[in-house]
Amino acid sequence: MDEKINIDLKSLKLIFKENRPYIASVVLVLVSIILFVQFVIPQYQGLLTANKQVEEMSSRMVTLKANLDVLTNINDEVLNSQLKMLISALPLSKDFVAILSSVYSAAQKAGVSLGSFSIKLGDVSKSENGKGFSVVKLTVPINAGALGVNSFISIINKTFPLSDVTSVKIGEKSSEVDLSFQYAILSASNYSQNARISAISQKGLRIIAELSNYENTSLSESSGTTANSASPIPTPSVASFPTVTSVPIVTFAPVATPSSASFPATSAPVATAVPVASSAAQ
Amino acid sequence: MSANINLLLHRDEELLKQKNRIKGFNLAAVLSLVGVGLISISIFLLTQSVAIEASSATKDQENILRKIFQFQNRQIKLFIVNNRVENIDKIMKTKKDLSKTTGSLLAKVPDGLSVNNFEITDKEVILTGKSESLAVIGELINNLTDMVRKNEIIKSLTLSSLALEQSSGVYTVSVKSEL
Repeated sequence: MDEKINIDLKSLKLIFKENRPYIASVVLVLVSIILFVQFVIPQYQGLLTANKQVEEMSSRMVTLKANLDVLTNINDEVLNSQLKMLISALPLSKDFVAILSSVYSAAQKAGVSLGSFSIKLGDVSKSENGKGFSVVKLTVPINAGALGVNSFISIINKTFPLSDVTSVKIGEKSSEVDLSFQYAILSASNYSQNARISAISQKGLRIIAELSNYENTSLSESSGTTANSASPIPTPSVASFPTVTSVPIVTFAPVATPSSASFPATSAPVATAVPVASSAAQ
Repeated sequence: MSANINLLLHRDEELLKQKNRIKGFNLAAVLSLVGVGLISISIFLLTQSVAIEASSATKDQENILRKIFQFQNRQIKLFIVNNRVENIDKIMKTKKDLSKTTGSLLAKVPDGLSVNNFEITDKEVILTGKSESLAVIGELINNLTDMVRKNEIIKSLTLSSLALEQSSGVYTVSVKSEL
């Protein structure tokens, strides 16, 4: 037998009348569910986010406190002298003054005379990479035999700025030494105020101790200034770099004759021949 | 005998059941609303306490940053020092002292042989010399061969040329070695 279902107003009113006591409670439950979904869940998510932020802040606090400890315990004078020495060893940019000073100084100490040589300055904004570092390459003719040349290269190996002797050609009367002077531009992208600061490691201190035996022929040293002098030390925000993009080839010749043991003062030929380098040396 | 069919009692039972059902529903509705309210209030209170903690942590952080700012110069210098030390360490590891190599090789050149040309790079060495005596040249070759055998400085030896200048009776020898 088919059941007839009447869906007219009368029957709806009848259904409503019969179930009226339940309607209020069902509506309340529905409202609770809606409130839970719309308010409680977002509130809980907000609480989790706030908790996470507090945890991140706590770990940052630990880092900052450790950084403050390190910075408070550093001796400023020692740091200044270490910085000055390390920048002389590995300059932040092409330092032609220091390069020429070291070459002439090594020649003088080895008791050899140098022939005419040239440095191709080229585009100071680009670098010729050697072993992952930027280099300035130089070929130095030396008017000496094996002993003199060997003495020259052993001295220049222990002179700032750091250099690599890439090849040596020794003839009967004259020789040639190829040198690569390294420099490394400072990348400020690795610098962050919130990053963990570490004091100089034991390995770093060993390197500094080893380098302190090297010869430093930079202009500031030869002028008699001490490691604690007020010479400006470059910072990532205020470092000045050469803005010249190209410079013609400059040829250098020693003032003294080949047989003479005396050599030009390191400041005189360099200062006139390399005006660009004075800004790079700061 | 009268069969008592008490329809009223049956109806009363139904009404009671319905009333209980309605009570249950109402109770559930009220409990759900109250529950949601209580959960919301507790989460609110927790959020407030976390916010207070965050605010005090922010103040502490600002204090420390203010103190660190006074040492900003030192921080930058230390950054540069560590950077230079790291780079210099890399350079020192790959640095080759050609003066020691040159000195050691030239020490193996016997008396009586004059070195015309000596070229050395970090990969190879070429030595050209002159002597009036073949024995001296032989001594040079023996010395260099010993070095190769002992794996001392050079790892190979090639006799590039050996020539005799008839007019002067002088031998010219050229050897090449890999470092």
